[in-house]
Amino acid sequence: MRKGMFVLHHNEPHQVISHEFVSPGKGSAFTRVKLRNVLTSKMMDFTYKTTEQVELAEVETRELQYIYQEGNNFVFMNPRTYDQVEVSGEVMGSDHNFLKEEMICHVQFYNDQPIGIFLPKKVTLEVTEAEEAVAGDRVTAPKKQAKLETGATIAVPIFVKTGDKVVIDTSTGEYVSRNN
Amino acid sequence: MSSHQFNFPVLKQRAVIVQAIRDFFRRSGFWEAETPQLVPLPSMEPYLEVFETQLLDQNRQPTRAFLISSPEYAMKQMLAAGSGNIFQITKSFRNAEGVSPRHNPEFSILEWYRVGADYLQIMDDCEQLLKSIAKTIHPDQQPILEYQGEIYNLTEPWERITVSQAFKKYAQIDQKTLLTTPKLLAASKERGYQVNEQTTWEEVYNQIFLNEIEPNLGKTKPTIIYEYPVSQAALSKKKKSDPRFAERFEFYINGLELGNAFSELTDWQEQLNRLKEDQQEKARTGRTLFDIDYNFINALKSGLPECAGIAVGVDRLVMLFTDQPSIQETLAFPATHLWPELIK
Repeated sequence: MRKGMFVLHHNEPHQVISHEFVSPGKGSAFTRVKLRNVLTSKMMDFTYKTTEQVELAEVETRELQYIYQEGNNFVFMNPRTYDQVEVSGEVMGSDHNFLKEEMICHVQFYNDQPIGIFLPKKVTLEVTEAEEAVAGDRVTAPKKQAKLETGATIAVPIFVKTGDKVVIDTSTGEYVSRNN
Repeated sequence: MSSHQFNFPVLKQRAVIVQAIRDFFRRSGFWEAETPQLVPLPSMEPYLEVFETQLLDQNRQPTRAFLISSPEYAMKQMLAAGSGNIFQITKSFRNAEGVSPRHNPEFSILEWYRVGADYLQIMDDCEQLLKSIAKTIHPDQQPILEYQGEIYNLTEPWERITVSQAFKKYAQIDQKTLLTTPKLLAASKERGYQVNEQTTWEEVYNQIFLNEIEPNLGKTKPTIIYEYPVSQAALSKKKKSDPRFAERFEFYINGLELGNAFSELTDWQEQLNRLKEDQQEKARTGRTLFDIDYNFINALKSGLPECAGIAVGVDRLVMLFTDQPSIQETLAFPATHLWPELIK
């Protein structure tokens, strides 16, 4: 069982949000998972026997290019067929913080419905606004806040300036390096 | 590497709670035993994996050594030798459980044993202990626990329900079905659980317990769930009036298990048989194997007095009383900080 994977639970596709080991006193081992029903977005807990065979939901991944936002939806295009697909804000989650036009993403489909998205592991974004560094604050890590061209705010090292291009790890949302 | 943030208010509160626990037991006629964490043979708990290391002599010749998964065997040897009522707060270690909001590989365990008592008196101890911690933290208010927006009333009596009653109430499974393997397997399959030729009674019993019963325990006040099917109580006495059940209980707040208690098994022969079965189970499941601790068996042979005892997760208690979402927040150096790669 891995975080992010899609499984069939009572014949409906669910994404594994988190999982933990459970051993009830003098009992064998179990895995407690938090599942999100990808059709209804409903969250639930379920405890599997660790010996259980879990059926994977047949999820297909397609490479699509982000073109624009429309209300709460994000419109993607298949660069080969020019077919358009709308991904809801719910499916997008906080990933929109690092989503930039023309970015190529992996969108996951179940029965032709978009149910998940992966941004490139690392993206390069421009800093549109960086705080002045505060000198002398050495107790906490030497970081400051910077606003990116996508509107998101992240912590960056104090040497980063407005106009710099920075590399972000999209899985953690953290600054990786400067890339001017 | 990011700098480590210590949550000093929570850590100081932890120290207050641990002190309150020690004060409670001293006032109640217990003394604090100190038993080793590094031992030649750990407890034979069939479903737990141990931490193994080596003890080297002066010529660097190795001997097997283990970290304890609980101080139980050592404390029972002291009881058999006439210690009287004892308690202990010590570190214990469990391997291969991963890190989750409720698990850390190294954790603090509180055990206490009452001589001449059975599990019913340990239930009373639990009620008084939690009330006493609440009173230490908030001397001028009713003994309540506020956790993640919910309020739990710690005043006795807590809710008490037997395992049989709980299966009936929350899963509509009657006692006969519960105790009959083919019936329980069929009932479990009917409820949509995966059941095949390898599935055991123990697996479906626990899967139903974890999915359908546990979330209902300890909703507005703590719940004591007691009288477990006898196979689920390796170190406990059978109930005299109904030997299909054992004198074991657990107590819960908000679906979280906080402690596991028994009227302790004093019959050395039965204990030895159960340890052999547990050792077989360890072999079957590919866990680290080690010998049966005959010092423990010999202590029982010499005469363990009638007694009852319990193990309580101190980190979980601190998590509840400091209103933290996970036990990691209650530790100065959680495993997730020491081994950041474990989080993934």
